Amino acid sequence: MGLRIWRKGVLLTLREKRTFIIFTLIYTLLIFLTSLFWNNTYENGFTGSAGYLILIFLIVSLAMSLLYAFILVSRKRRDWATLKCIGYTNKNIISIISGIIIFTTLMGLIIVIEVVFHYTAILAYLASADIEFDLPSILIELVPILVTSFLFIGVQLFSIIIIYSKVLKVRPLIALKRVGE
Amino acid sequence: MPISKDTMIEAMNVNKEYRRAGAIIHALNDVNLTIKSGEFVIIQGPTGCGKSTLLNVLSGLDIPDSGKIIFDGENIARAKEDRLSRIRRMKIGFVFQDFNLINTLTAMENVESVLWPTVLRTSEIERRAITALRDVNLIERKDHFPVQLSGGEKQKCGLARAIIHRPRVILADEPTGNLDPESEKEIMDLLKEINKDSDTTVVVVTHRDKLNSYANKIITMKRGKIQNIK
Repeated sequence: MGLRIWRKGVLLTLREKRTFIIFTLIYTLLIFLTSLFWNNTYENGFTGSAGYLILIFLIVSLAMSLLYAFILVSRKRRDWATLKCIGYTNKNIISIISGIIIFTTLMGLIIVIEVVFHYTAILAYLASADIEFDLPSILIELVPILVTSFLFIGVQLFSIIIIYSKVLKVRPLIALKRVGE
Repeated sequence: MPISKDTMIEAMNVNKEYRRAGAIIHALNDVNLTIKSGEFVIIQGPTGCGKSTLLNVLSGLDIPDSGKIIFDGENIARAKEDRLSRIRRMKIGFVFQDFNLINTLTAMENVESVLWPTVLRTSEIERRAITALRDVNLIERKDHFPVQLSGGEKQKCGLARAIIHRPRVILADEPTGNLDPESEKEIMDLLKEINKDSDTTVVVVTHRDKLNSYANKIITMKRGKIQNIK
């Protein structure tokens, strides 16, 4: 049941193409940069500005998640109110919203893995074809990407907890108000 | 099937006040009424007489300041939000004036959405949605999005959503308020058919006298009070 509602959240995400694409690209960029700087600190230790940049990217990610959740709750207040009217609990609605946010983040993560994978494949091809190149042999290692993924999912869950109070405030009565009232 | 005349909803000494711009508005003033199972009830009266507030209170969407609302044997006036959600999901079907369909879902998905938070299997939900859409003559439009439907079709979809979980009561707030006369007749005929065939109690709030012929109980309200029941 919970999984079904979560899946319906994914369905709703895919139907809101513009918002989905914008936020997926933002998350892709943030996950890529965080992984890259995490990779540097992983190799060289927490020296220089890399550690601070990771922290900044995580804070930006939290801000983005909150913005996304805020947009979802505010723009669709009437839809959530209607769902409450027809028997959805606050937990059901949070499941849909978390489905939307987590799915968007996972898409960002998959794109980053794809980019890194293709980067490595291109390097392997250049090396096998004896073409000289001046690029790092591995752009980002697997461990920094996994650590970043866990951190981002944690940040998303934190933003979902914060937004829960906003969902509680959506009264089902809003659904019965006339459009424009 | 013989119509059972058990009490479905009972309002006892219900009061509800609003504060608007510093003034107190008595939306419901010592309201008492009984709606029996299988009845088709119309609540009518001029704008601002408290009929929508009464519907909200009867469905647990709004809490009365005092009094009791006995819904299917349970006092819902002081019930917790999760309990009210469960009652609405199991026992009440809502029909809205503005249809309130989710624009990013197809007609079929809108109808199914009521059962998503239940333990029913997906195949059973689909089967019930198809039956509900067939009952309201909208099956051929099941894959259309709300923007692709006419007003009457949107309301049919809303009606299918209201009946998919086989509720004990259908509550309709001005269900034909945004429809042309032809669609209005179609929707009211469907409501009457559901009322007759499945013994579902139907409560319709309207300001249109011409719908009275569908009802077997008409409650007229004025200034927050029940003026007349016939």
